[in-house]
Amino acid sequence: MRREFFAGSNFSGRSAALLALLQSAGVPAFFVGPYAEAALSGLSSSVADELAIYRGDPSQPRPPFDALPIGSMLDRKPQSLSGGEQVLLALHSFAQSPFDTIAVDTALEQLDDVNRVTALAYLGCGAFNVALIDNRVVPPGWEIRSGTSPGRPFSIDWPALTSAITPQRAQAMTVRGLGFAYPNGRQIFDGASVALKPATAHRLSGANGAGKTTLLKILVGALAPAAGEVTLAGAAYRPWREGNRALALATQNPDQQWCGATLGEDMERRRAALRLRGDTNAINDARVAEFARALGIASLDQHLYELPLAARKRVSWLWPLIGAHPWVMLDEPTIGQDNPTRESLAHLLQHMCASGHGVIFVTHDDDFAAMLPHRRLHIENCRISSL
Amino acid sequence: MTPNGAVAFAIIMVIAAIASGAHGLVPLYVALLLFAAIEVGQASLIALRRAALIMLPLAAFMLIVWVGVVGRGPQDIAAGLAGSRASALAYVSTVAARLFLIVCLVQLVAFRFARETPLSFVRALRVPMAVKRLVVLTLSLVETLRHSVDRAHTALLAAGIITRGLSVRNLTNGWILMQTVWLTAITTVTARVRDKWPIELTVARLDPALAGGSNPLSAGDVGWLAAAAFAGLASQIASFHAA
Repeated sequence: MRREFFAGSNFSGRSAALLALLQSAGVPAFFVGPYAEAALSGLSSSVADELAIYRGDPSQPRPPFDALPIGSMLDRKPQSLSGGEQVLLALHSFAQSPFDTIAVDTALEQLDDVNRVTALAYLGCGAFNVALIDNRVVPPGWEIRSGTSPGRPFSIDWPALTSAITPQRAQAMTVRGLGFAYPNGRQIFDGASVALKPATAHRLSGANGAGKTTLLKILVGALAPAAGEVTLAGAAYRPWREGNRALALATQNPDQQWCGATLGEDMERRRAALRLRGDTNAINDARVAEFARALGIASLDQHLYELPLAARKRVSWLWPLIGAHPWVMLDEPTIGQDNPTRESLAHLLQHMCASGHGVIFVTHDDDFAAMLPHRRLHIENCRISSL
Repeated sequence: MTPNGAVAFAIIMVIAAIASGAHGLVPLYVALLLFAAIEVGQASLIALRRAALIMLPLAAFMLIVWVGVVGRGPQDIAAGLAGSRASALAYVSTVAARLFLIVCLVQLVAFRFARETPLSFVRALRVPMAVKRLVVLTLSLVETLRHSVDRAHTALLAAGIITRGLSVRNLTNGWILMQTVWLTAITTVTARVRDKWPIELTVARLDPALAGGSNPLSAGDVGWLAAAAFAGLASQIASFHAA
């Protein structure tokens, strides 16, 4: 059985090389892409159905993959699972499927440490063919391949980006007695409290599905808590009622945050929303263009969905970086990003903290977190603790 | 009751509802209530509430258009009569009652088989594989659209373009939400069709997953089909006499 690792930096053509390899094999292979659209089948309305679609011949068993409590999740909708849970579900599906080959394109970067080790050990067990792309580890003993057809580069001008960051005065934010459960009854927070300090980077950690992204959604007002309060500079802050006026969010999957088809349209709509609030800190066209150029995008007419995934991820940082809000929140910012980019981003966020921004980031990337001085906030058993 | 029986029951009821007049709806509602009480039980109340939530805005819209704005029913217009708001109200009431019955019926059948997954429900149907595939693909598109609404809603809320509650901002920016939902749905499906499905031949995996089917009809099914046929016949007779 072959175990192939596709090495290289972003835009080196490694994803294209992986797909070409699978297509040239002439037999179907299981594919776990970087985001949900290419991780799950898209044909099921429940976890039970997702497993049923991929179930193969039980007389030809394969080593089981049991990192997820599947028995308690059968009724849940696959698309409502967290990013990491979706990847684990995909691996579960593969484990009982008849496919001889699995290809994983940076998807393991969404897993927490325990699940990541489990997944890598499973993929390396030698019972089936594996093709893997990952920015965080090169599994020992695997055959190394590299991309052969470099695509369009989207190089970031880090010095320009750093110098364009404007000072902010983020205000202290507190969460007290937070309670939240999803409509299916799954309790995420129960009496959770945390204090977020200005000019500081905070890392939200926790197992896949613990509620990291849920907390971010509550803080930007996309979800309303059942109990508890949030304060900003000591005053009550209810973004779920009054709208978000403090935090700029970059989502884990960049495609979950676009508000328009082109970068210019997306930015204009966000700026119009700020103007409606009477925000006089106008972000003009020149500033948007300056940040876009620094992130490797030449024109604001660039269609967001036509960019490669790694480039879309970088563009998703534009709104948090541009200074629209004093607090920035980045959900798994380094997924799909190569080592130089991760390192430079860590330095940039450190610079933002020094400039008065408050930073909250979610990541399972310990190497990235180690490059950025931060307070670690851990979510476990519906509570948030400071480590 | 089997999925095949439930689908056949629903088809007879829907055809009868479409073909009947206002008076003919009474026996169909009797059959519907019996089905709700015997087959679904307490969850029927949720089905009724959901059907009402779906139908009320539509009924309100029809009232505004036909009773408020036009002032006479479409049958009056077709016959060249002056008509009245009363006849327009009768028309709107009949259409709304008919649609409510159909929506409620679909909800009740869904609740009757709530313990089955959509895939196992479709698998149990005695229909050609192509039809089963079509139903699953349609359901998956519905699921994608629902998920796209959630994603787009979150994106626009975080950007402050819309609000969670009622607001003028939502009225003026509602179209952005619709556009974002469509963009999200289209790109989701495109990514799936471009990357995942050709490598796995994912859609072909449906065939073994959907193969097989239960016996076409159980004794209970036959009883319900007879009840639906009787209600349909009574409905046509009542409609004929009323006419």
